[in-house]
Amino acid sequence: MQNPLLQVKNLNIAFDTDRGQIRPVRDVSWSIYPGQTLALVGESGCGKSVSALSILRLIPSPPGRVLGGEIIFEGRDLLKLSEAEMRQVRGKDIAMIFQEPMTSLNPVYTIGDQIVEAITLHQHVKTKEALDIAERSLADVGIPAPRLRLKDYPHQMSGGMRQRVMIAMALACKPKLLIADEPTTALDVTVQAQILELLRKLQHERNMAILLITHDLGVVAENADTVGVMYASRIVEYATVEDLFDRPQHPYTEGLFRSMPRLGGKTDRLETIAGTVPNPARFPSGCKFHPRCPRMQGDPKCKDIEPATREVQSQHWAACHHVPNFEQSPITIPHLVHRRSVVAKATEEPAII
Amino acid sequence: MTAIRAESDANLTVAAELAPLTEKPRTLWRDARARITRSKLAMICLGIMACYVVVALIGFSGLLNHAIEATVGPGSAPPSTASVSLWAGTDFLGRSVLWRLLYGARVALTVAFLASIVSIVIGTVLGLISGYFGGCIDAAIVWLFSTVSSIPWILLILALAFVLKGQEFALPGIGKFTLTGVPTIVLALGLTSWVGLCRYIRGEVLKLRERDYIAAARAIGLRDRSILFRHILPNVFHLIIIDFSLGLGAFVQSEVVLSFLGLGVTDQPSWGRMIDDAKLELLKGVWWQMAAATIAIFVFTLAVNILGDAFRDALDPRLRGVD
Repeated sequence: MQNPLLQVKNLNIAFDTDRGQIRPVRDVSWSIYPGQTLALVGESGCGKSVSALSILRLIPSPPGRVLGGEIIFEGRDLLKLSEAEMRQVRGKDIAMIFQEPMTSLNPVYTIGDQIVEAITLHQHVKTKEALDIAERSLADVGIPAPRLRLKDYPHQMSGGMRQRVMIAMALACKPKLLIADEPTTALDVTVQAQILELLRKLQHERNMAILLITHDLGVVAENADTVGVMYASRIVEYATVEDLFDRPQHPYTEGLFRSMPRLGGKTDRLETIAGTVPNPARFPSGCKFHPRCPRMQGDPKCKDIEPATREVQSQHWAACHHVPNFEQSPITIPHLVHRRSVVAKATEEPAII
Repeated sequence: MTAIRAESDANLTVAAELAPLTEKPRTLWRDARARITRSKLAMICLGIMACYVVVALIGFSGLLNHAIEATVGPGSAPPSTASVSLWAGTDFLGRSVLWRLLYGARVALTVAFLASIVSIVIGTVLGLISGYFGGCIDAAIVWLFSTVSSIPWILLILALAFVLKGQEFALPGIGKFTLTGVPTIVLALGLTSWVGLCRYIRGEVLKLRERDYIAAARAIGLRDRSILFRHILPNVFHLIIIDFSLGLGAFVQSEVVLSFLGLGVTDQPSWGRMIDDAKLELLKGVWWQMAAATIAIFVFTLAVNILGDAFRDALDPRLRGVD
């Protein structure tokens, strides 16, 4: 069997703050294979961005620190690398794109300068060659007249164009893994679709793995192969995208699906999950979802014991006491080799907006 | 018909592709330059500054070396039109005030420029490091500048000037130096006046380091040094230019204060020394030497302040009105 490109095992991260310790990532495990898209889904503050940043070791420290766990990339534990070795991984093996394309480019440099900087950092090429590579990577992300655009400043471009530039910059060194932290959240819906389409196309061409961080289940359905649902710093459900959408096991995942708007449905109000997201500084006892959970029904177990993430069905992990046969299911480290069966239909070359 | 249509379409495409070439992009600096050249007052001040620089260069060329010491008339002669040397009268030794005044620009500008550079280098580097790294480093630097700024400025500068003056130090491979007039003043002023800029830059860096493009720079594998100097420094450079232009005037005045207190330049004419020399003469009604030096300082300070304001208006986007 193929080896995973990146495997995160029992990752624990803490932030030491004035008001005590906060644990934004607790016992998180997942893996990603070449060419695969793993989506981490969850609401704001559930720890999905922090776990992504921790892969590149970009968590500000202090206050952040890794309490334990392993991040194994191609057989090496990234947490054990020196800062200099880590700089070689950043940008070259693992690249990242951010949520806000409007602020992700330095306003005082042309986009050409910025892409060339990323290239010359990891490849021993002359500036002229780097410019050629930069031009090609701009062409790859569908920017017309790339040679001219290299001389543009970020403020001369629209949000969608800037996100394309960010992707071009991230992909210029041909990384094996791309971390996309809410890459389309700040863009409007048509541009979102174009950017995701572009990512799919480039992923297919380069057999690149993508870690997609999002809170948008629509984006997950269209793009992910496997999905980890995060709630209150933990992965509460982990499965293939088809499995998750067809047979959600965790009440939080069920709640997420119920609260999605449906085409053709005649409802005045969208359903919501009762209660609010728990404050990471004051998590409830036991299962962190129990105060909002429709399945709890006064069960003291939910209140007292936090359920482990168990393989409740073959290739499907969940952390809920009320899943059938939960106690008998084995506790295993979640990992899935899976490609989505239905590839979203590739549309024509998208228009530039 | 179709051919014509196709041709005009082709022309349109060409025009669309060429447009970005002819229209230069609006950058902060290009915008600022346009704003400054548009302002008449700023351009006049720039002209005045240029005159001062030319006069200082004449001082450096040695053309005035003889004129400043020569006796051109009786002691304390009032201004007269009899000869150029007498336009601004003579001092108590009969030396021409005009020539000494012109020569004084040399000291004033040297002190102002060099002290500005010393203070900017210290303030910028400490501000960048403090804001970017935070933690203990930040705490230490904040402690340092709080301490420096809590000591009354004039006391600190006097103490420094006093300690530095006549200090010998050896530069390996170059030789031994003794700190005399101008370098002493430059160091004393430079070492005491970086706090404002340092604070300002630290605050700005605290804000900038949270920007996504800094995270993105880290994510492509840049080291801290490159991020600080290549990605953050250019974004605070407008603060440095504003501080530089506003600092020039203040440093010229400080030179006067130091000379007035007897800690300034002693080996060559300077505006501060002229005012110091003239303070007793003034009681005897000899006003011209005091007046000449004061006017020279006044015009210089006014020009750099207006220019500094113009730079600030042009470079600080928060101060821009709608226009």
